[in-house]
Amino acid sequence: METRHLLRPLSSLSSSTTTTATASAMSSSTSPFTRSIVAAATGRRHQSTTSRTKKMLKIPPHPDFLTPREGESHIIYNPPSAAPSVYHTPFKFLPKTDPRRQANLTQLIRSSADLSGPSANANNLPPPSTKREGAPKMYNVTREQVDEMRTLRAEDPAKWSVQKLAERYKCSHLFIMMCCKAGPEHKAQERERLEAIKARWGPIRSGAREERKKRKALLFKGAI
Amino acid sequence: MKRIRIDRLSSQLLAATPARPPPSSNRIPRALAASRLSPAPSVCQTRCQSTAASPEVIYEDAGRDVAAPKPIDYSKRPLPSPHPDRALRSAKLAALHARLSLSSKIPLQTLARTLIDPSADAHPRFNNVNLAFVGAALLQYHTSEFLVTRYPRLPMTILFAAMKGYAGVPALHQIARAWGIEAAATPGEEVDPGLLQFAPDRPTVTMNRWGYVRAESKELQRYKWRRGVSSRILYDDAFGELVPGESEQSHDGLELSKQRNTKDMIVEDVAQNAHANFVRAVIGAVYLHCGRDVAKTFAKAHVLSRQLDLANLFNFKLPTRELVRLCARENFDAPVARLLSETGRLSRTPVFVVGIYSGTDKLGEGVGPSLDAARISAAINALKSWYLYSPGDTVGVPSDTLAEDAAPWKPVYVDIGEIIS
Repeated sequence: METRHLLRPLSSLSSSTTTTATASAMSSSTSPFTRSIVAAATGRRHQSTTSRTKKMLKIPPHPDFLTPREGESHIIYNPPSAAPSVYHTPFKFLPKTDPRRQANLTQLIRSSADLSGPSANANNLPPPSTKREGAPKMYNVTREQVDEMRTLRAEDPAKWSVQKLAERYKCSHLFIMMCCKAGPEHKAQERERLEAIKARWGPIRSGAREERKKRKALLFKGAI
Repeated sequence: MKRIRIDRLSSQLLAATPARPPPSSNRIPRALAASRLSPAPSVCQTRCQSTAASPEVIYEDAGRDVAAPKPIDYSKRPLPSPHPDRALRSAKLAALHARLSLSSKIPLQTLARTLIDPSADAHPRFNNVNLAFVGAALLQYHTSEFLVTRYPRLPMTILFAAMKGYAGVPALHQIARAWGIEAAATPGEEVDPGLLQFAPDRPTVTMNRWGYVRAESKELQRYKWRRGVSSRILYDDAFGELVPGESEQSHDGLELSKQRNTKDMIVEDVAQNAHANFVRAVIGAVYLHCGRDVAKTFAKAHVLSRQLDLANLFNFKLPTRELVRLCARENFDAPVARLLSETGRLSRTPVFVVGIYSGTDKLGEGVGPSLDAARISAAINALKSWYLYSPGDTVGVPSDTLAEDAAPWKPVYVDIGEIIS
């Protein structure tokens, strides 16, 4: 019986409310007002059963999610690419004796071309993730400069902070911290300042910090 | 060929020692602790000549606790475990024998013996200690050769963890559960021989220990000294765990906390240990009755066929630095993190896909909510793909050459070692 209702066209559904012939003649020339009323009523009726709801929800996917025609550019890949398995050893990691290395001649020729020097197809590679990534290391700080930064840091660690020294000698913060240490009283002062800042944190911020630590641990375990 | 019964020799020497540690403790005595079995020599001579399957061995456990020479009516004493003859009439045992597709060479009596833990019956002729020892040695050998040839670049700590994942107590417990082993509520003579029999409140032994008892083992346990990986390879058991030394309590004043010190010596889960020893004992029984090749096939089919995700065992501390060291060691170009794709950089939930490249070759790829997290996960994936290199499923193991018509041994790939150890 339900299928019969479904198969019945909308016009007959609207006419079913009126039984007489005159009424059906009226409905054939309905005003926009009555049509909207009928549509609203039928719309409500469509959600009254599962099959009607399913039928209403059966809409075609957005064209972005369909497989594009040949030669068309698209930004959504369907299906999306999966993360590569770690059990698939990259060509470069295969040992010299592995038969897969000899079998893959194209890769062999490519990698031997790489070893000869910076190859021409380096431009085809994706960009480095940060600006400093892959940049050659600068060994620009001399021994005298290291001695100088040590004396500066020793005489006034508040003025010559790690950031200031890094700016002055154009090296990384890590290098400054490797070279010179602040005195114990400066360390204690900094620690006190940090503790005071942490004491001002509310539950949300301190909880977020804890979460961040947990996420970091999960990251190194490869769990996320 | 007649073998020398070492346990009987030692039982003559150690006849004065008590038969058992006090039943309240379940501490582990030394492997093959001879002091555990000290039957009165006279009693032993009258009864211990028979095998486990023979019917005239009813009395030996009853006589064990009684060192006095006065005559005792042994027949009134209940046996600690079911009589071996009852194995032939047990439906559970026959079903287990059929379920495991064991050869008919393995008698039901032996299968019944594999189900008796030393905590149920302390006599080594009637419990599974010796079978479990043989089985453990075989199983650990086959597991380690499988892992070393299949994954030649695994770091040692991961190898130990993988050994534990394949042949450790929890894994073997799962296997025994999958075989449909049920435990008896309490061990005793009247129990069905097809049930696993152990007593949680009585001492048991772990027969899986195969290692050297370090001279400093007491201090290692007491003060938690650090053990390097090299010394764990050299001195400790197949899972890189310390072989506990003498189980006797130390009463000197140096002891810090008795509770903590004795923790390592106690079998954590007696039920798990009993199930695991049963699986080992079955492998030992297969070896004794059917031979080496069948035992290897059995271990392969039941233990090594299980799936263990080795990639989840890793936990890196400095993955990017380790990858840089690897590339420098192997004369690869220095690794560079490159942005493959990104979405929603300025949104609340950005996704970055970063690949690590050495020269023009991609070594690994990772996804993360920030550039740094993506780079770290890409480095972790690259390192995992280095460590999890496998020459393939068909790589042979050394024990293949023990067969008569074996092909000559082809040397397998041996890695030069870990990057940062």
